[in-house]
Amino acid sequence: MSAPARPRPVLQLRYWLPVLSLAVFLTVWELVGRSVDPLLFAPPTRVAASFAELVRSGQLPAAVAVTINTLLIGYGLAILVGIPFGVLLAQSRTVGTVLRPYLYGIFSTPRVVIVPLIIVWFGVGYAGRLLLVFLWSMIAIATSTADGVRNARPDLVEVARSFGVSRLQIVRHVLLPGSVPFVVSGLRIGAERAVVGVVIGEMFLELTGLGGLIVTEAQSFETGAVLSAVVTIAVIGTVLIFGLDAVERRVSRWKERSG
Amino acid sequence: MPESKLSVEGIRKEFPLAQGGGTGTLQVIGGIDLDVAENEFLTIIGPSGCGKTTLLKIIASLVAPDAGCVRVNGRVVTEPGAERAMVFQSFGLFPWKTVLDNVRFPLVTRRVPTAEATERAMTYLHKVGLERFADSHPHQLSGGMQQRVGLARALATEPDILLMDEPFGAIDAQTRELMQEELMRLWQETRKTVVFVTHDLDEAVLLADRVLLLSPGPGRVRRIVPVELPRPRWEYDVRAHPDFAPLRAELWSALRGDLLADQQSGVAS
Amino acid sequence: MTAVADAPVRPARTPPHRRRSARRAVPHLVFLAALLVAWQLAAQLLEPIVLPSVDAVAAAFVDLVLTGELPLALAQSILLLVLGLGIASAVGLGFGILIGRSQVAHWTLSPYFSALFVIPTVALVPIVLIWFGFGMTGRVIIVVLAAVVPILLSVASSLRDEPGELVEVARSFGVRGELALLRTVRLRAAVPVIMSGLRLAVGRAVVGMAVAETYLRLGGIGGLIRDYGSLFQTDYVFAAILPLSLLGVGLSALVGVLERHYQGWRS
Repeated sequence: MSAPARPRPVLQLRYWLPVLSLAVFLTVWELVGRSVDPLLFAPPTRVAASFAELVRSGQLPAAVAVTINTLLIGYGLAILVGIPFGVLLAQSRTVGTVLRPYLYGIFSTPRVVIVPLIIVWFGVGYAGRLLLVFLWSMIAIATSTADGVRNARPDLVEVARSFGVSRLQIVRHVLLPGSVPFVVSGLRIGAERAVVGVVIGEMFLELTGLGGLIVTEAQSFETGAVLSAVVTIAVIGTVLIFGLDAVERRVSRWKERSG
Repeated sequence: MPESKLSVEGIRKEFPLAQGGGTGTLQVIGGIDLDVAENEFLTIIGPSGCGKTTLLKIIASLVAPDAGCVRVNGRVVTEPGAERAMVFQSFGLFPWKTVLDNVRFPLVTRRVPTAEATERAMTYLHKVGLERFADSHPHQLSGGMQQRVGLARALATEPDILLMDEPFGAIDAQTRELMQEELMRLWQETRKTVVFVTHDLDEAVLLADRVLLLSPGPGRVRRIVPVELPRPRWEYDVRAHPDFAPLRAELWSALRGDLLADQQSGVAS
Repeated sequence: MTAVADAPVRPARTPPHRRRSARRAVPHLVFLAALLVAWQLAAQLLEPIVLPSVDAVAAAFVDLVLTGELPLALAQSILLLVLGLGIASAVGLGFGILIGRSQVAHWTLSPYFSALFVIPTVALVPIVLIWFGFGMTGRVIIVVLAAVVPILLSVASSLRDEPGELVEVARSFGVRGELALLRTVRLRAAVPVIMSGLRLAVGRAVVGMAVAETYLRLGGIGGLIRDYGSLFQTDYVFAAILPLSLLGVGLSALVGVLERHYQGWRS
């Protein structure tokens, strides 16, 4: 079961296998899809056709634009607010401990059930959808940042204090750089939360963007179109995560290379 | 009598013992008075638990004493200030900053203009022989090199008093000897007042103008021994000098007495 | 040399321990009280639809409990959750072992699970419902899809790392064969990591459950909230959201306790 010792064959196997399995998967899917009702099952060829049609008609690009807009603004705000809020939370042990259960409670409540409240408070418009992205993402970023700051190396804080540095400067030069792994972890969780949030808003509030596309196409049983939208969402999410990986690598350049 | 550069008056310090909600305090320092003259190199030595690091931190104003005060140039100090700079046993370099940024750190935070800060930092990096590593990160340097950066950082603030907390404790023996020599050269060149804490008796005698021996439980001055060995001390074998052995013996017998007394009374050191 | 009063002091008896826990609860209670007061005041100023008063929500909650709506909904939701998590655990464990121990399986199968992980569960709901219908099957599948990947990934990654000498020791005692080794050594060593994966999975499962029920308006807590929401009876909405939040938090805490229990042997 273990890979062969020589490097070359291993390399080939590593890249060929996923490709091979994908080919097998798509073929099986295609055949099954064709024999069952293709409308319902959407074999790969049908999905591709729907995708092309959606792009041609401009529906997909328009939906992508709406979704990305809400996503970036909501996530961006979450970062701008979340990191300072996290630093603040870490300043007072009592405040942090007291607020934590409520933040955690909000964070763990599925947003779908909050939707009725959002409708009452903000209607089905942009504000509500933005809140669904912003608030949950912000909480993830803030709590992770707070954890990082609270776990900052006290010996380095002492070093900074020995040079008579102000509290704000300690935050800037010692606490934040030292919390980078925590902050990045928070950014990741926040990104996932943001993507889910935008989709929920678009499916349950105003039907717009990629989420809205999913719902409307599903109502017409256009499974091919639905899958196209789902895949697009997955791609957006993946791009965001790759972006964060790149940011993390750049920010952690000072770290020792392990092993 | 010339006014001393640094004077420590009646310092006491207690720490609470937080065991299972009980009360009780550990008296770490039980009354210390000390005067350090300008340009003097004072070493402080003593067994573990005698409060020597705590004393140094009190002098640095990182820890507030329960009684007594610290004066620099006659004025009472309660906050860390530009006239004192500290060098730490674990080097205390910020791993995410380059060597240059680490040395510049105290200057930048004191709003020294960037150009001047960079120039000063490079000057002192040059003095410790590390100007080529200005853009490296601490993890790329050996222990000895990192401590030299720590030293450059402290010196770059151009303090009056250098406070050194077992700075060579985490460095291997051979490098330590080189560092001791380098420190003495720098001291002779820059003429700072130095308070140097160590647990190594030989090191204490080698470097000092005076050696202060603290006794533990609670920390008090046991003995102050002047060291009048000729300087510069890297130009000859100090240990071979006829005055070295008796000095060391005197300190060792006092130190040893304290160590044995600790063991016998069962007080955790 | 005088020995100073620095000998270790004998710790006082139990009361300080209880006193400490009580003291720690105080800020929480104070904040909660302040929150409730602020809420009540705000509710006076705003429309009852926008912010129902504390007593209105409490009354709604009591009503839901007494009419049996809440207990029924909770039971339905918990059933769905248990089924979904159970199947997700089995699938996650099975495939996780496979992917963790076989490089071939890893290269062949992992991409699909990673892709699944990146897709928000919500986005999958319409498709799953078209393919599997609106009944229990569809709902369970949604919860499984939500929860399976964290479990699988944690099983796989923990099994990929060799638990050091433990395997050698087991072999020296005559434990032979991959399956036996798995059972006696590898899985036991992997438990802490699997627990943390389970904690993540539980959170996602709760979301999956809520999403499935809300989209369908078919029973469970999600359905209950959606029904009252569409009637704009905000007091009932608040009253129903609370047990759902507590369910999610409670389950996570439960797994957290298990996690700590199994971490006990770690230094």
